[in-house]
Amino acid sequence: MKANQSQTTALLGWSLQAIEAIDKMGRPYVVVGPPEFQSFADKNEISFVPWLFNVPIEQSFELYEKLKEFNVKLTVPIYEETVEWAGMINSLLFENPRLFNKSLLLRDKGLMKRRAHLAGLRVGVFEEAYNKEDIYRFFRRINQALIKLDEDQLEPIHVKPFDKAGTVGHRKIREEKDIEEIDDEEFPLLMESHLEGQEFSCEAFIHNGNVEFLNITEYVKLGHSNFVPASPTLEKWRPQIRAEIEKLVSAFEVDYGIIHPEFFITPNGEIYFGEVANRIPGGHIFEHIEKAYGFSPYQGQILCSDPDTTKEELKSFFPEEIVSAKGYSGNLMVYPKVKTISRLNIPVELKEHPYFVKHNMFIPTTSKVSERVGFGNHYGSINFFGDDAQEMRRLLEKFEKHNFYL
Amino acid sequence: MSPTVTTEKVTSTQTRRKTTNASKAKKVTKQIELLEKKFVEALNILDQAKPFAKSLYQTDVFQLANELASSNGGMAVLDKYAHLFDKAGVFLSGDWEDPTKLQPPFVGNSLRLRGIYSILELLSEMRMLAIAKGTYKHDSISKEEACTFLNEVVALNLDLLTPQETQDQTIPQEEHLIRAQNLLSYLGQELSFKDVADQMIIEIDRLAVQRPIITRRILEMIQLSQQLVTNELNPSTLEVLEKYTQAVYAPTPLSKKAVDQRDYRLKLEQATDEELTTEAKLFSQSLDDTGLVSPFHVVLVRYLNRKKADILPLSLSLGESGSISFNDNKKLIHDLIQIAIYPETSQTIYGLSRMLNRGVLKIDTLLPAIQQLFELPIHAEVRKSLSLFINEQSSISMNGILIAGVISVLGQPLGIGQGKNPICQSARAISLWAQFEPVQLLTHIAHAAQDNNIEMSFEGEPLHSNLLIEGVANGIQQDLDVVSILLVPHLDKIYNEMIKRTLLRGEDGHKWVNREFYGKWIPSGFINAIDQLTLNVTNYSAFVKLFYATHHPDYNEGLKLIYPNPVGIFLTNVHGELLGLHAVSIQRIEKDHNGEYRIYFYNPNNDSTQNWGQGIKASVSGFGELEGESSLPFHEFVSRMYAYHYNPYEQGDTYMVEDSLVLQCKVLAKESWGKSSTWS
Repeated sequence: MKANQSQTTALLGWSLQAIEAIDKMGRPYVVVGPPEFQSFADKNEISFVPWLFNVPIEQSFELYEKLKEFNVKLTVPIYEETVEWAGMINSLLFENPRLFNKSLLLRDKGLMKRRAHLAGLRVGVFEEAYNKEDIYRFFRRINQALIKLDEDQLEPIHVKPFDKAGTVGHRKIREEKDIEEIDDEEFPLLMESHLEGQEFSCEAFIHNGNVEFLNITEYVKLGHSNFVPASPTLEKWRPQIRAEIEKLVSAFEVDYGIIHPEFFITPNGEIYFGEVANRIPGGHIFEHIEKAYGFSPYQGQILCSDPDTTKEELKSFFPEEIVSAKGYSGNLMVYPKVKTISRLNIPVELKEHPYFVKHNMFIPTTSKVSERVGFGNHYGSINFFGDDAQEMRRLLEKFEKHNFYL
Repeated sequence: MSPTVTTEKVTSTQTRRKTTNASKAKKVTKQIELLEKKFVEALNILDQAKPFAKSLYQTDVFQLANELASSNGGMAVLDKYAHLFDKAGVFLSGDWEDPTKLQPPFVGNSLRLRGIYSILELLSEMRMLAIAKGTYKHDSISKEEACTFLNEVVALNLDLLTPQETQDQTIPQEEHLIRAQNLLSYLGQELSFKDVADQMIIEIDRLAVQRPIITRRILEMIQLSQQLVTNELNPSTLEVLEKYTQAVYAPTPLSKKAVDQRDYRLKLEQATDEELTTEAKLFSQSLDDTGLVSPFHVVLVRYLNRKKADILPLSLSLGESGSISFNDNKKLIHDLIQIAIYPETSQTIYGLSRMLNRGVLKIDTLLPAIQQLFELPIHAEVRKSLSLFINEQSSISMNGILIAGVISVLGQPLGIGQGKNPICQSARAISLWAQFEPVQLLTHIAHAAQDNNIEMSFEGEPLHSNLLIEGVANGIQQDLDVVSILLVPHLDKIYNEMIKRTLLRGEDGHKWVNREFYGKWIPSGFINAIDQLTLNVTNYSAFVKLFYATHHPDYNEGLKLIYPNPVGIFLTNVHGELLGLHAVSIQRIEKDHNGEYRIYFYNPNNDSTQNWGQGIKASVSGFGELEGESSLPFHEFVSRMYAYHYNPYEQGDTYMVEDSLVLQCKVLAKESWGKSSTWS
């Protein structure tokens, strides 16, 4: 870290957690984010460059110039939308144009799938759709191939936009009339056959092409609950999972940084690739890693993104996988099941359970409940910590059904 | 108050129930201990975070504070650590960050909110308590100031101390109310109720001296103050509380002995003339002292009205002109009392007293107008709104309610309040008419009551309120007096329509609207400090000088204000920050006992002692204010005005007004509401 003292790291995207983490590392940094944070940054003496990322990437040269004034030698993307910006500016900083192209691969689900497929990862059947006709055809062909004749047992397919985070814009098509509901403006979309198996994600910290630390997050219900580290039943497949990760790393030529891939695994160990992102995962996963393992994954990301980090530093930073976990950290994201909220209903047995850590549910100031888009607006979450994965899973499943908001 | 630690005495005779209770208490203690541990941990984590990151850790502290505040014994835990809150950053980047900016009257509102703000408010009170106890030394707030602050908070929110009686006992009490209850009772224990009581009577005095028509809040406070009466109070405080309590219940020998109203009536029938005279005089006295009316007073007045008419005037606190008015209109007054003075309208006795004293009945044309109301058919819609004032057991008629309302406004024109509604111009209108155009007022009342419509004209064109849709206020809440409830919806729409018709004139429409709306006695000259096209403050010096030249006795050739002047002011908060526009009317301009000229004005806002920042605090007593008036030193009031009328034919010379006076006003204006404007 001493070698990096004179040169600045730029965080692309405003995140207090990331800022706090890098601040504690003692290395110089600058934050690039929306202009509305300027006064807050000034008040707290945070180096700041106001920037809107929803402009054409061609303007990255302008940003590059601004960052050079701060003596920036590395950019780290925080949010999905900043990934290609990091790619572009890093390619200028490191004089390696390929870095930009590599980042684009990770921003386009269609390209991503192709690359993974070519690298030998198992994927579902997929195609790009540019209009509803494409989806009808794909849907029928899949079902034909699976000889699904009965209307009730149609095989679903999934469609999603190429470049949105999480499940934004993701639709599950169960029958043809679901296709009708799609707006023309949502195209192009990536279509994919349904993948069976348990879904989970990985957070892999890569430095110089090596996987320095691999975390597996177990999903209990997508978008609602998860925990770290994964249960023994999932962890037993670690070697195979690691192998898939390494295929990804070499396929996408990831040298430095984190990747957050999602997979499906069948009971007999077949792993299917879902998608991969090059930025911080949502769903409180980083919080879990910190609670379970005791190190800050934000700092881990920064260390791994920096080519100058030494092997010794990495070794002393990352603990041993699985065994050094202090327990299982999990959480449940709560969505109101009512239209207006008048009070909270938190059961005593929850608060008294030894695994219960805390919750942050309040009665909101406006009692009307807004519509869900992707996973952006859960109203509160509950944190758990304990030493038995089965119990953790049981708790998360049980309380997911409970109505906390009345 | 520290959490109780139960020590179990294990004896062979111990019953099973005792064991269960003991173990229950132990369980509760353990819970609190666990919560305390978590709370301290969360507070520490927050403390260690850098300022920019604190918002990541505040929520945990709030959530645990929530749990503690809702549990028995939790308040003591919060008290234990309250002195650390500021340092840890609990309030950082929020409305409660700077305790010097907080004011007791707003605390109650926040405590009554569900959700996170009531938790923050509660923590803020605990912080204030720490300052009051000396465990937390604050740079800008002394122990005494903190005590006074909390005393006022408790005094204003005693009703949170007792749980609401919900109709459905199965619905648990809402958590924010439980928290508020715990907070209030904890504060009550930690502070002395003696000081709270002192604060309470300051509050009651302050509200009562303004002589409002709607006395609900004052009565509420008097009732709540009963809880504070103990031997430890200051004798002077006790005396004042007694005075008010009696005024509202029973201030006379016979009423004190009476069990209820029927019983009192029977006693009256047995009483001698001397005793009746004493009763009458004491009631009058109480009326004068407090402005409040006891229901027993109603019984007396009704009785005297029927049986002892010669003693009746003694019970109405009449002055010289009042007595003359009474004698000239005996029949009318007899009828008014019969139809309008009932226990539900007890406060109307005060209105009657003041109406007679004002000599309003001298206006000949007014008498038939009042008479008309007795038999006036009332529109169904109007019946609906008036029915709020009656319950099933009432024997007062709709017309009675209406007439009672009229008596009140004619007697207390400055006691009209706007409640929580943005209807200051309409309230002001009723007040102005009650003072100077009572016949006009009654015409509007009669039309509104009978037809649910008011007709006015704007520059020759008729306007009917029932054909208009929009008013300024969207829904009018029912904390208004009868006449306001009746007229305001119509006035609001008409006023709005009139303003609409002036929008393209390039000048402030009030110039024309006020004269059409209130009456032609409003002077035709009008000036607004804000240029309507650029919205800049333009030529402020001319604005100030003209006001001095037309209104200040030293500069306007000694002319006295004949009619009240409706003016526009900028409302500012205690920091001088602009809140919005407001309508008030200047009643008088005179010297106070210190020889300083003051502006005495009517503010339709229910509490006229607002602090407008920069040391500008309107007062309601102590400077020669008449009932219902507020007052300010001349230049302080000017610094908050933005528009006024003036008589162009009667003004002094503006060049005689010193620049220093202008500067004085300008400085105050610029550094308060003027901050958000461009000055040219």
